[in-house]
Amino acid sequence: MSGSPAAIECSGLGRDYGKVRALDTLDLTVARGALVGLLGPNGAGKTTAMLLAGTLLAPSRGWARIFGHDVARERRAVRRRLGLLFQDTSVDPLLTVEENLLFAGRLAGLGGRLARAAVADAIERAGLRDRARQPGRALSGGWRRLVDIARATLHYPDLLILDEPTVGLDPEHRERVWTLLNRQRRELGTTVLFSTHYLTEAEPADRVVLLSRGRVVADDVPDALRSSLGDEIAEIEGPGAERLARAIRGLGAARTVLRIGGGFRVGLTGPREPVIELAGSAPGIDQLTLRRPSLEDVYFAKTQDGAGYP
Amino acid sequence: MSAASAIYGIVVRDLVRTTRQTSRLLGGLARPFMWLLLVGTGYNAIARLEGGLSYQAYIYPGIIVMAALFGGMLTAIATVYDREFGMLRLMLASPAGTVAVLAGRALAATLVGAAQGAVVLLFAPLVLPISSREFVAALGALVLAAGMSGMLGLMVAARLRSVENFAGVINVVLFPLLFVSGALYPTTGMPPALRALARVNPVTYAVDLMRQAVGQRGEFGTVMDVAALLAAALIAFGVAAVLFDPEQRFIRARPRPLSP
Repeated sequence: MSGSPAAIECSGLGRDYGKVRALDTLDLTVARGALVGLLGPNGAGKTTAMLLAGTLLAPSRGWARIFGHDVARERRAVRRRLGLLFQDTSVDPLLTVEENLLFAGRLAGLGGRLARAAVADAIERAGLRDRARQPGRALSGGWRRLVDIARATLHYPDLLILDEPTVGLDPEHRERVWTLLNRQRRELGTTVLFSTHYLTEAEPADRVVLLSRGRVVADDVPDALRSSLGDEIAEIEGPGAERLARAIRGLGAARTVLRIGGGFRVGLTGPREPVIELAGSAPGIDQLTLRRPSLEDVYFAKTQDGAGYP
Repeated sequence: MSAASAIYGIVVRDLVRTTRQTSRLLGGLARPFMWLLLVGTGYNAIARLEGGLSYQAYIYPGIIVMAALFGGMLTAIATVYDREFGMLRLMLASPAGTVAVLAGRALAATLVGAAQGAVVLLFAPLVLPISSREFVAALGALVLAAGMSGMLGLMVAARLRSVENFAGVINVVLFPLLFVSGALYPTTGMPPALRALARVNPVTYAVDLMRQAVGQRGEFGTVMDVAALLAAALIAFGVAAVLFDPEQRFIRARPRPLSP
């Protein structure tokens, strides 16, 4: 297993649209079986990175390999190993769920009985049995997304590339989607690269890659990313928030200081008592909350301009 | 194997979609008969054609081709719906590749166009005498005409970005192709400029081939007609293959990236 190539390997991968640099450079290695979250603001280059890995875009620079196959030169070999989910749903409104999946199976190269068996299995796994005969146009957005996921996983791909798999879904359907994906990973060892704006969805990931303006600004396991901000986050609100943030930094207890809206988020290092004492005597503080750092803190710290250091 | 199964999947999907779009299907079938009844009957009274042929009998081969042209082209141009609703990307991302995807669409368009033309052909004995041999020859001409129409449709669809352009395509592409083809009046009587246009219009050769298949006098000869239709179909398919996958073209044009 150690000699087998990584699920995704890319170096200096980039893509321009005319003069716009959508993805500047991406260096990434994803181990087989890993769950990797690709985060970043709109326009950070997430979709471009996924389309490049999915062979739907040609790189302007650099290279990428999927299970050892070059995405530019061995597209067919790459596509055989891939399951792709786009941001927009790809369900034909005139075909039933079953027909949509059968169509996808045939596109993936499955023929005859093999395709029918794969469709029946996908319908069971995705909990679509009651909707199998319904036309695509009769499905709600949530069920359509589940059909999309069933379609992407139908041919048992080794790598799933999912562009915002749960966008626009209610919590119940989001749960269904993740249950389905986790089962896929557990039973088949599928590697999953996904993008999301719901940062809590990235918490269970083996690794999180943060993109901003086409570049990787953070890449680590979620715990390491969170602890890079400090042991705790102090959320400070009120007119005296900036003064207190400066004072905490003066104490040498601040690892990161971030301006969010009208307040500050300070990543604390070392014991919390001196900070609490300082805050107790500081004027103009409406609220001080201490909590564990989250991926949302990492997101803001790494993707905001200047990060608001006073 | 993957290409064959993808082509089969695309053909099945297109045929299922066609049968479920009842109004489009009925409209496609009614259009040629409306032309025969409304235009054909009107001109019957004033048109004087050699051999005592009625105007309806004269335009019948052209109307058969018209049914195939509209059926084939509109089925192929429906690719623009697929582009707008994300289905095209799904197809182009399949291991089968762009050429297989286009081949599937072209085959489906050919089948739909030929089926619509065949319905008109079935009623031909009501207007013009046709032997069983001529009927078989007409079926062959119909398949060629529908195939060429489907591939032309793919070429047109390659540059269409929105379904809103659909009606425009009918007015700007389909009707001119039909009018400058000899389907409704002989190209020999056209002004030189229009006649030159008719010569480069592939539908002209489809109408001419159909005319000869049903026993009417043609202008170019069967071999020329078949060759022109095959050439037009191949060129249109080649252009569509390039236009549909600019990324592939881009990769081929660039030096290979260095990878370890």
